[in-house]
Amino acid sequence: MLLAVVASLLLYFLDTRLDYFKPVRMTLSTVVYPVQKLASMPDDFTTWFTDFFQGHRQLREKIMKLEAQNLTNSVRMQKMQALESENMRLRELLGSSFRLQERVQVAELLSVDLDPFYQHVIIDKGETFGVYEGQPVLDSLGVMGQVAEVSQFSSRVVLLTDPSHSIPVQIVRNGLRAVVTGRGLGENLQMEFLPHNADVRVGDLLVTSGLGGRFPVGYPVGKVISVNFPQGKSFAEITVIPAARLATSREVMLVLPGEKIDFGITFPLQIEESDLPALEEQPAADEPITPSEENN
Amino acid sequence: MVLVKSQHSSVIYITLLFAILLMLVPLPDTLRYARPEWVAITLIYWAMALPQRVSIGVAWFTGLMMDVVTGGVLGIHAFAYALVIYLVGRLHLQIRQYPLWQQAFTILSLVSLVHFIVMLSSPITFSWNHWLTVLTSTLVWPFVYAVLRKIRRSFQVS
Repeated sequence: MLLAVVASLLLYFLDTRLDYFKPVRMTLSTVVYPVQKLASMPDDFTTWFTDFFQGHRQLREKIMKLEAQNLTNSVRMQKMQALESENMRLRELLGSSFRLQERVQVAELLSVDLDPFYQHVIIDKGETFGVYEGQPVLDSLGVMGQVAEVSQFSSRVVLLTDPSHSIPVQIVRNGLRAVVTGRGLGENLQMEFLPHNADVRVGDLLVTSGLGGRFPVGYPVGKVISVNFPQGKSFAEITVIPAARLATSREVMLVLPGEKIDFGITFPLQIEESDLPALEEQPAADEPITPSEENN
Repeated sequence: MVLVKSQHSSVIYITLLFAILLMLVPLPDTLRYARPEWVAITLIYWAMALPQRVSIGVAWFTGLMMDVVTGGVLGIHAFAYALVIYLVGRLHLQIRQYPLWQQAFTILSLVSLVHFIVMLSSPITFSWNHWLTVLTSTLVWPFVYAVLRKIRRSFQVS
């Protein structure tokens, strides 16, 4: 018993305080991957089953819907391309290098439940596919989270809703910068450290600000659904609903590296370009924000 | 009476593996806090029935596996399970004699202990919802007990 206690405490200490256990964890995670795969099998099978026995009509409807969607998307893309080239030209004039489009890689979620106190998911791409720690994870609607731990064939992703996860954001309407933090299972996100006079309204769209260099600029994070100014508290209580479908997405996209250097150049320029009126009103929000990464 | 020592320890490990799988199988969000601590109660059963086979070491390694699988901090489940199995090892003669409902209360306190230790290391704030697992673990105990006893008898694990 004494041995077990000492070993556990040692493990706990080494795992939380020091990074000695990364290789050990990685190997162990690789070892338990088959177990996780096995646990996700019933769900995978039902998905396959429903896919296989879908009726002719359902499939037709689905194809029609997808084609219509494709059409609208390609129309939007045309406009997007024009805007993109215009944007690039303008940025060239400003002398900043900036890439609008990041390359992505598609991964699939393993349908397993992990510890409900952490908001983590497992994806089926690991080191062999070049996944790395801190890699941003998106779904079709917005940011989902970031990779926390990589093993050989799988990796663990921290979702935005994890209580230990924060992401630097920017309000689209006025460029106000802030940090959005998770609150745990089934809860919405919270926008933190904004004073009572901050210009935030219900319905404001939040996108990644790119500060901190982890997440690429301009991906949707969420939407403000309630703003409260509680008496006697120094900060406003702002609730944000995530844009990504954290609970239902099966396919996720990993943003491939190559943009890191660009961020290094655009970072100071973004502050220079602060022709955003809200920032002058809000010196408090102008503090350099360091995203608190997950710490386990 | 001299018992013939049958080597069926694989049965124990298979039930433990199955318990870990049950911990991972997806549940709807509303039910996630109500998932019974399958691994803990399986360990408790085996430690109660065969204390010489399921020792603190086995519990510790199972806990370590749980830590890795669920992605928590290493050593938390290991510590919690080892502690509980230590207690069960000390008390197994008494627990065996209890009627089932009294056993269930013992399980309630043991699973609470496991849960308390796991909660201590988690970043989440306190909520009574998170203790639903203790209740459901107690409720499923009679069934787990019956099933595992059936398994133990039919495979003659001793």
